Amino acid sequence: MREVAIIGTGITPCKGRWIERTYYGLAQMAVKAAVGDAKISIKDVDAVAYGIYNDIFELSAIPEHPLQGIIGMANKPGMRITSGGATGSYTMMTAYTWVASGLYDIVLALGVEKATDCFDFQSRTSTPEVIKTIGWSGDTFFERELGWTASDSYAEVVLAYMDEHPGDLKDEVSAKIAEILCEQVQNNPYAQRYGEKVTAEMAMNSRYIVYPLKLLETCVYTEGAGAVIFASADKARAICKNAGHPIIWVTGVGAANEASVAGRDERHKIMHRILSDHLAAKAAYKMAGIRDPLKQIQVIELHDAFIKQLQITMAEMGFVPLGHADDLIDKGLMAPGGPILVNPSGGLTYGGHFVGGSNMFSCWSACRELTNRNMERALVHGTGSTVAQYGVVMILERGS
Amino acid sequence: MVPEIESEVLEVRGERYLQSNESMFTFYKRTKGEFSPYFLALKERKVILGAKCPKCKLVRVPPFVLFCPECDFEPIELVEMPDTGVMNSTPPVTYFAHSLFEHQVPFGRGRVLLDGADTALPIHVYTTKGVLTPRIFRRGTRVKVIFRENRVGKPTDIFAVPIAEIPREKQNVRGLQESALDWESPVEPELPTPDVEAKKIYHSTLLQLKKMASLVAQSERAQKDLAGWKRRINVKTSGGCFTLLIDDGKLDVQEGEVKGPDFIMVAKHPAIFSDWMSFRDSLTNAIIAERLWISLNREFTTVFKLDRLPRSIKRTGQ
Ligand SMILES: [Zn+2]
Repeated sequence: MREVAIIGTGITPCKGRWIERTYYGLAQMAVKAAVGDAKISIKDVDAVAYGIYNDIFELSAIPEHPLQGIIGMANKPGMRITSGGATGSYTMMTAYTWVASGLYDIVLALGVEKATDCFDFQSRTSTPEVIKTIGWSGDTFFERELGWTASDSYAEVVLAYMDEHPGDLKDEVSAKIAEILCEQVQNNPYAQRYGEKVTAEMAMNSRYIVYPLKLLETCVYTEGAGAVIFASADKARAICKNAGHPIIWVTGVGAANEASVAGRDERHKIMHRILSDHLAAKAAYKMAGIRDPLKQIQVIELHDAFIKQLQITMAEMGFVPLGHADDLIDKGLMAPGGPILVNPSGGLTYGGHFVGGSNMFSCWSACRELTNRNMERALVHGTGSTVAQYGVVMILERGS
Repeated sequence: MVPEIESEVLEVRGERYLQSNESMFTFYKRTKGEFSPYFLALKERKVILGAKCPKCKLVRVPPFVLFCPECDFEPIELVEMPDTGVMNSTPPVTYFAHSLFEHQVPFGRGRVLLDGADTALPIHVYTTKGVLTPRIFRRGTRVKVIFRENRVGKPTDIFAVPIAEIPREKQNVRGLQESALDWESPVEPELPTPDVEAKKIYHSTLLQLKKMASLVAQSERAQKDLAGWKRRINVKTSGGCFTLLIDDGKLDVQEGEVKGPDFIMVAKHPAIFSDWMSFRDSLTNAIIAERLWISLNREFTTVFKLDRLPRSIKRTGQ
C-alpha cells in the first residue's frame, strides 16, 4: 500500500437550520473551502467519495447525483457511502483506500447532510420528525415497531455498561465533560454552540431525553458539510509545500462492525461493550505502531453521540481501563492542561452533528490542532448504527 | 398531516428564502418471508419460535436466520421456546416519543434471553404495578412473556413483565394473555408521616397551585394544553393530600381527596410541585427519578400535558 496524506480540509459553519442553503450549496461551500486550503484546483482531484447518511433527510434516493457536476467532478469516478453515524469515517476510509491502492492520486471525501428540513406539523417543531426519520434506521422486522430510536439504542449500551460497572459513569463526571466541551467550543467559530455557556450544573440538571442520557450531554442536530482531500505521498509533498502547511500523514486506519443482535458471546452484540470501537482502534494502532495510546496520542476527535458513550469509547480505545471511564475527569486526563485534548472542536455535542459529514468535521479539527498547536499525533473516530454497532478509527501524524 | 398552505417566505438577514411543504412516504404490502412461521406462531398459537443450529446447537431467538453463519451455512431447525427468561441488560424507557409512538409512552424496549436461548429477543417491557420507571427492569430480572388479546403477527403482539408480579399459579401457564394479569392493584409507595416542615410546604404549594389554576383560566395556550381532557387525580404527598381536577381546558385544585379518582399520584415531597411550577424540575423527571409515582402507566399522557402548563402560562404573560 502507498503512503497517504491529508492535503486540505474545509467545512461550512454548523447550524441547527440552514434556511439559506440546500445541500447542493452546502456541498459546494465545503469543497471550495477544502481546495482553497490545499491551494489546488478541483481539476486536480481524480475521484470523489460522498458521505450522505439518510435518503429521507435529503428527500432523494440518489442524493449525490446532482453534486457530481456542481462540485466540478463531472466525468470522474464518484461513489456514495452510507453507514449510519459512521458514514463520514467510512467515506474517508474509502478515499484513503483509493489513494493507498494506487488507483487514484488525489481523492476528495465529501460529507453533507440536511436534517431539520424535516418538520412535525403537529408540534410545529423539527425535532420529533428528525427522530422519526432516523427511526427508520433500526431493524425493521423485530425492533422498529417497538419504538426503536438512535438515542434509546445508545442508552441500551450505556445502561448495560452501568450494569457491568456500577460505580462508573457518574452523572457529575459526564456533566463536567459537557462543561469542558462547551469551553473548548469557544475556540471553534464554526461550531453550532459557539458563544453558548453551559456549566456542569446546567448539564447535570438538564432533562433526560432517555434515561440516563441528558439533553446537554447529547449531540445536536446540525446541517452542514465537510470535505477532506487525500493524496499520495509525492503529490502531497509538493502540494503542502506550495500551500505552506505541514503534511498530515494517515498512518493508521481500522474499522469493525459488530452483529446487531444481542447475545451471550462475541458472535453477537455484547451489550455492555462497544467492541466495534475497540477492534477499530486496535487495528489502527497496529498499523500506526502505537503501543500506548495515552502516551503517543495528543489529540482525539471522538464521535460523541452522547457524553457517557464518549467515556465508554475512550475506555474501549485504551485511554482508561473499562470500568474506570470516570478517570478521564477524576485523574484529570482530559481536563485543561491534561495529557490529552479530547474534542477541541466541541465534538458533536457542542460543535455539531451533520451526520454524513460529522467525521469530516472531526478530521478538520484534528488537522487544525496538529498544525496550530504543533502536536504530533491525532485520532479521529466515528461510531454509528444501532447499539453502537459500527466503529472506525483513523490515526493522523503531523509531518514537516 | 400536511397543512393546506403550500409555501412561505422566510427572511434571514434581509434576504428572502422560499420554503415549501413536502412529504416522503411509501405504502407497502411487505412480506414477512422466512419470518412468517415465527410471526404466525405468535399470532395463532401464542408460541415463540427459535432457530436451532443442529451442528453448533446455538439457539437464536427470534429465528432471524435460515442458515447458521457460524457453521458454513448449515440449515437451522425451528424449535419452540419457553416463554420465560431474564433481561439481557437494563432496558431504556422512552418518555418522549415522536408522533408514531407517542400514544404508547412510557414504554421500555428491552431484550430477553429466553431460557435456553443464545440471543436476546427484542421486546416491550411493562409493569402491572403503576408507572414504568428505569429501575424496575434490570439485567437479570426474571420475566415472563405475555400475549396481547388482539394479535396481528407483529413484535408488539407480546411484551414482558417481571415474573414476580405474576401470581404463582399463573407463572407456568403457557401463552398467558394480558387479560389474565391484574392491572388494577398497583402498590402505592409508602409516605412518611407528615412532619411540620412538609406540612408548611404543602400549604404554600397548595396556594401556588390555586394561583396557577387561575392563571390557566387566563391563558389560551394553557387551556389548549388541557383541551378535551377530563381527569380527577388524587395527589398524596408527605405534607398532605390534594386533588387536581382537569375539565376540558380548566384546572381546579382542592384540598383533600375525592372518591373514585381516575388515578393517584404519590409525591415523596410536596416541593416537587413548587419545583415544577418554577421550572426547577419537571414532573416527568420526578417520575424518572422515582420521586413521583402514578398508579396507571397510560396516565403519563396526563403528566405530559401538565408538564406543558408552566411554560404555556409564562408565554401568555410575555
Ligand atoms: Zn451453527
